[in-house]
Amino acid sequence: MAGKSSDVEMAQKTWEIENNIETIPACDEIFRYDAQAHQAILAARPWDKDPHFFKDIQISALALLKMVMHARSGGPLEVMGLLLGKVINNTMIVMDSFALPVEGTETRVNPQSQAYEYMAAYIESAKEVGRLENAIGWYHSHPGYGCWLSGIDVSTQMLNQNFQEPFVAIVVDPVRTVSAGKVCLGAFRTYPKGYKPPNEEPSEYQTIPLNKIEDFGVHCKQYYPLDVSYFKSALDRKLLDSLWNKYWVNTLGSSGLLSNTDYTTGQIFDLSEKLEQSEASLSRGPFLVTALDPNEKRTEDRLTKATRDCSRASIELIHGLMAQIAKDKLFNTVGMKSTN
Amino acid sequence: MSACNQMEVDTEVNVSTSSSWSVAKQNQSGVMAAPTIMPSVTVSLHPLVIMNISEHWTRIRAQEGFRQQVLGALIGKQTGRNVEVMNSFELKFEIVDGTILVNQAYYTTKEEQFKQVFSDLDFLGWYTTGEAPTEKEIQVHKQICQINECVIMLQLNPSIRGIDHLPVTLYESIIDIVHGEATTLFVPVTYTLATEEAERIGVDHVVRMSTNDIGEKSVVAEHLVTQYSAIKMLHSRVKVVLEYIKSVENGTLQANHDLLREAYSLSHRLPVVQGSTFREEYYTQSNDVALITYLGSLTKGCNEMNNLVNKFNVLYDRQGTGRRMRGLFF
Repeated sequence: MAGKSSDVEMAQKTWEIENNIETIPACDEIFRYDAQAHQAILAARPWDKDPHFFKDIQISALALLKMVMHARSGGPLEVMGLLLGKVINNTMIVMDSFALPVEGTETRVNPQSQAYEYMAAYIESAKEVGRLENAIGWYHSHPGYGCWLSGIDVSTQMLNQNFQEPFVAIVVDPVRTVSAGKVCLGAFRTYPKGYKPPNEEPSEYQTIPLNKIEDFGVHCKQYYPLDVSYFKSALDRKLLDSLWNKYWVNTLGSSGLLSNTDYTTGQIFDLSEKLEQSEASLSRGPFLVTALDPNEKRTEDRLTKATRDCSRASIELIHGLMAQIAKDKLFNTVGMKSTN
Repeated sequence: MSACNQMEVDTEVNVSTSSSWSVAKQNQSGVMAAPTIMPSVTVSLHPLVIMNISEHWTRIRAQEGFRQQVLGALIGKQTGRNVEVMNSFELKFEIVDGTILVNQAYYTTKEEQFKQVFSDLDFLGWYTTGEAPTEKEIQVHKQICQINECVIMLQLNPSIRGIDHLPVTLYESIIDIVHGEATTLFVPVTYTLATEEAERIGVDHVVRMSTNDIGEKSVVAEHLVTQYSAIKMLHSRVKVVLEYIKSVENGTLQANHDLLREAYSLSHRLPVVQGSTFREEYYTQSNDVALITYLGSLTKGCNEMNNLVNKFNVLYDRQGTGRRMRGLFF
């Protein structure tokens, strides 16, 4: 009898173990690292044939949070880090990210040899705890001036794409993230030198401060953005759902108007300068512009651009105000009727 | 590294859920201290840590094919009795005869690496996964205590169903005399969730990204939906309090004076801010925003006007090129 019951226990145990194996949800499959597949794709190097090979990028929730928080911790300075991940078909998958000990300035970051040593040591030690992916790119922050690659960034990325393929560059703007209330992030790959992109579809418009616009304009045809999507595990989903149960207080408690005063002032300054410029270009006479290149739709008039920046800034502020009004109605008008 | 503006969040909710939770567990294992012992520290926890542990566990499971306990270190800042857990990293360990041996050398290299980037964060404790602390965790805890005395332990339960509360519990250890022997025991620590603006937006973003990708939505709608869901949550919480008070009134529930006092003081805090100074500031702020909006619409008007003039010039060009152009286009 005793033997039989232990048999039953055994059977149940094995059943549980087997069951455990099968319960890995499909969405968690992405967390498994297939070294062979990775080696195969490294050997095939399909990205050599097509400069536009990678079209999508998937970023894990963890990597996103780490990048955003690291970028934010840098304040007005640019910070930099490395991405770990893999490649599936023509999608790059970023599993994790880590910060690098690189001192950025307010306008650029550039890794030094000390940082390279750090990278190698970090990846090596991460492998020991089951983080098997290799470096797949780098990220850095552009506090307050949008997600694009500057001239230095382009040359860094080009160098890396030559020697470390597959490689991607991610830019995070922590200041705009806070002001717009949504994550401001872009992933880019550069074209090889001398390559002319076949069709230049206009990229999504974004506000770029005046002192950076030249840097942006010169290099913006040398790289292309990837479609960014995010993924999370089944456990992440559960945890995040329950996190929200405690998190809603923060949404109510934060004020978009108060946390971005510096940024707002900066934007207004920038706008006034842009408007002045457009005024100067207008006084030169609109005829000239229209008569010379009426077909050129691409060169949007400066005023139109300034208008878009202006609308965006005011929409963000109106958002902040709407939240303030809602809170005022909720918390400050209670009991008013009884006293009046 | 200094721009970490902290926001304290919901104390009441947390205290009640996590303490009721641990009370239920205490009977299960002999490693918990008596419920009368109060913890000596207060902990605030960043969501990044929770995500980090969750990812660590998921990754190991996906690679090994079955569920496995994972270990890691918690780092953050400590000021006085307040501990703020801000980040974490994985630890390496071996299992020898069923006991977990933490690899100290690995810890040292990892700590050095983190010190280079986050120089202001210190080692605070360790994390693991599982349902409740057992003898095994005590043994690990003793090893960790060699690195740093007073450490905290975080346990995440990955096999929880339901999303009513966060399956995360924190403990600190005390040494007590049980049956004439000095024994290490765990004391549950209550914690609050700490966050900063960028982190909040990041979490918001990953929470909603699954529902968000269907079609293009206006930014205004998106913003309002966030506000709406927060207010809805507040409404449901207030409703719970109201219902409790109602049933106390009816006599269906026994009155808990602590809770009633809390509800009373809460309702007396409303309205939160009154007075002319607040009104003035509030209106100033509103006026500022209105002014910027006005500026925006003025600019927009200018632009429209400019476009109109441009188009007009194309059609009726005084230099006579208009006719030629029209011929080209139509």
